[in-house]
Amino acid sequence: MSDDVPALELVGLTKTFNGTRAADGVSLSVPRGAMLGLVGPNGAGKTTSLSMAVGLLRPDGGTARVLGSDVWSDPIAAKRLLGVLPDGLALPERLTGGELLDYWGRLRGLDRGVARARAEELLRVLELDGAEEDSVLVAEYSTGMRKKIGLATALLHAPKVLVLDEPYEAVDPVSGRVLTAILRRFTDGGGTVVISSHVMALVEQLTDRVAIIARGRVLADGTLEDVRGADATLEDTFVRLVGAREVGEGELTWLAS
Amino acid sequence: MAGLLIRLKFTLLGHSATGMRLLGIALAVLGLGLTWFFALTAGSDDVRADLLTLVFAVWAAAWMLGPTVANGTGVLRSQYFALLPLDRRRLGALLLVTMFFDIGPALTLVALAALAWHALSVDPAALLVAVPGFLLLWVLVISLSRLVFRALGAAMHSRLGMEIASVQWGLILAGIFFGWMAVQPAFSATLSLSENGLGEGAVGTVLAVLPTSWPVLAVQAAAAGSWGAAAAWLGALALLTGALVAVTSVLLAPRVEARGVRRRSRPLGARPLTGGGPGFSLLPDTPLGAVVGKELRQWWRDPWRGLELRASLWAALFIGLLTWPSDQFSFFTPFAGVIAAFIMVLATANMYGHDGTAVWLSVVGQDRGSVRADVRGRQVAILLLIVPGATLMSTAFILATGSHWAWPLVITGMAVFFGVGSGLSLLLSVVALSPGVDPQLRVDANDTGDNQVQVWIALVALPVLSAPAVLAAVFLGLSGLPWLAVPVGLLNGALAAWWLGRIAYRRLEARLPETFTRIRYSKAIALRTVPEDGSWLDRLERTAIAGNAETRPTGS
Repeated sequence: MSDDVPALELVGLTKTFNGTRAADGVSLSVPRGAMLGLVGPNGAGKTTSLSMAVGLLRPDGGTARVLGSDVWSDPIAAKRLLGVLPDGLALPERLTGGELLDYWGRLRGLDRGVARARAEELLRVLELDGAEEDSVLVAEYSTGMRKKIGLATALLHAPKVLVLDEPYEAVDPVSGRVLTAILRRFTDGGGTVVISSHVMALVEQLTDRVAIIARGRVLADGTLEDVRGADATLEDTFVRLVGAREVGEGELTWLAS
Repeated sequence: MAGLLIRLKFTLLGHSATGMRLLGIALAVLGLGLTWFFALTAGSDDVRADLLTLVFAVWAAAWMLGPTVANGTGVLRSQYFALLPLDRRRLGALLLVTMFFDIGPALTLVALAALAWHALSVDPAALLVAVPGFLLLWVLVISLSRLVFRALGAAMHSRLGMEIASVQWGLILAGIFFGWMAVQPAFSATLSLSENGLGEGAVGTVLAVLPTSWPVLAVQAAAAGSWGAAAAWLGALALLTGALVAVTSVLLAPRVEARGVRRRSRPLGARPLTGGGPGFSLLPDTPLGAVVGKELRQWWRDPWRGLELRASLWAALFIGLLTWPSDQFSFFTPFAGVIAAFIMVLATANMYGHDGTAVWLSVVGQDRGSVRADVRGRQVAILLLIVPGATLMSTAFILATGSHWAWPLVITGMAVFFGVGSGLSLLLSVVALSPGVDPQLRVDANDTGDNQVQVWIALVALPVLSAPAVLAAVFLGLSGLPWLAVPVGLLNGALAAWWLGRIAYRRLEARLPETFTRIRYSKAIALRTVPEDGSWLDRLERTAIAGNAETRPTGS
């Protein structure tokens, strides 16, 4: 595989729900070893685009490739290279975190010893080992813990490309630092990460590339510097591209009463 | 505030599917018609009083069972309002009030008003008792309905509660299957009911003590001039209704403890990874073994799954016990295990709907053979869970009743029903899957998706697919060679389990993202993924999507 094959490529992904274009020809190219932040307002089409990129939602048009393997025509090859963390979905709720990872590792064809060792290490690093000792079920996890066990399932089979939908949401600052360290180690080792978020400061501090998406279209895509251009912060760029509604002088005055 | 909630309820109702609701309304109209028919055509005042006690008891029973048996979530869920600065009790009471504003309760009220007609015809002065009587009864019946529904939901939060709910469900299912045995004599007498009433007998005595009969007794007492007794009956009814309303309001109040209340004991089968537990497992170290292990744990630990699984065993046990003393039906007693297999299919035919959006794991984890392992593993797990209990039950019934003639027939029946059933339940789980409230958000006992389409299909398909073995058992049994049917049953069962499971995993493999879409997005979007004039599987899927009531993943 030559080095110039992008790690993740979204090619004209389009999806219409009940007459609304949730994604309208979304194209992105993420080089290997990069960390890309996908930002956009609520309902911009971030989750829809990422779902189509990882094989969860069949696009009306376009496709996605993971290190050259087409997600829609060669799903098995592409999915072996992918680690995915969706936002707000269920898990096998009545397993403990360790049981979930054990099941997941074996389903993905890992040797039992390897799966076990990696699962133990992930639980420890993500500070879920205490809950595991008490046999806490996933159903009893807090929102942040759910994010963390989801991340562990995404990492367990040592993928080449990580696609994480809102990975920092509900994660406490200490765990957030751990998460950042994990992601940095992953990209240092040649892995590629795509995260979606609507927290600009986080994306600015964490990623080297950024794509801005609104109303189902990609408005900007490139290195952080390129996208930001002359703007002082990414938030300014975002507001300039997406447009912002200012709160007028006479509005919501009752809040101050 | 109550007016606001009632308007919200009707707004939400306007956005939800109506199949089950229409059926409920149709039944209520039928009940209303029957009630007034009895009231108007009764041969005498005493007969009418008898009939009203019977009819009122039936109304109460229907209200207790109906909302629980019918799939679908409550319209206004108390969690929606948990953050409002309202007293929890008051909110519970308000939610209870909204229950009275609907077509069903309105029809019920009109039906119960037959008591006023009765009072008018015995003694117009008794109206003084009849009007508050039937109003109180109305409040009692509707509150009781809500109480039973919520109590079952609350029961889902403890293992004992789940077990009690399973027993109730088992009884209901047994009642649906064989209850007509008990009802039949009463039913054949219905035609003469409006002439003769219930007469002297056990039924009348039992009915007389039921609270639903108290307003009738109050009217009777008033008509006879004993106003003291009338006031006593009415007072007792008012006290009971008040107590019920109070308890129901408490149960309807939003739960404030955290979603994840931790247990004190370890969940069944837990071996913490970090605790240095035994490094071996009985299950093979393969994807299939992984799925079987996951499924066994989920069936043991998830109260919603446990309810369905255990209810099929309880139902089979009750059917065995109910048929045993009967002359006509004791033939069925040894077949309790076979009946368990039959009910298992009905109970497990929506497994992927049960798992909800967790199916994303199967989609992103797709690998060579992973989907096959998922389907086959589920087949193995349900058999491991239910075959031992069913076998034990049939063996015990055969030994206890001494019906040793039944051995070959029971073995044939179990082999074919469990084989066909495990294949059919997976096929329906894949093709006809119907999402409910997403697992992490479930509260009430019927928050898992509507499965009426699966049930109807299974009721027809199971006998058809088992026909070779059933016919072999009948004909070989009649020609004195019943044991020769056993290999036919084994072959029929094994082939069907293999073939139906194969159709299921191939279908799932080809439609993984569509399966996720089916669960994650609404009915309309799911329908667009299935061709209109496609294969029989496509048609089956369209039927299921269109026929099952829609439940939003968040429960609204």
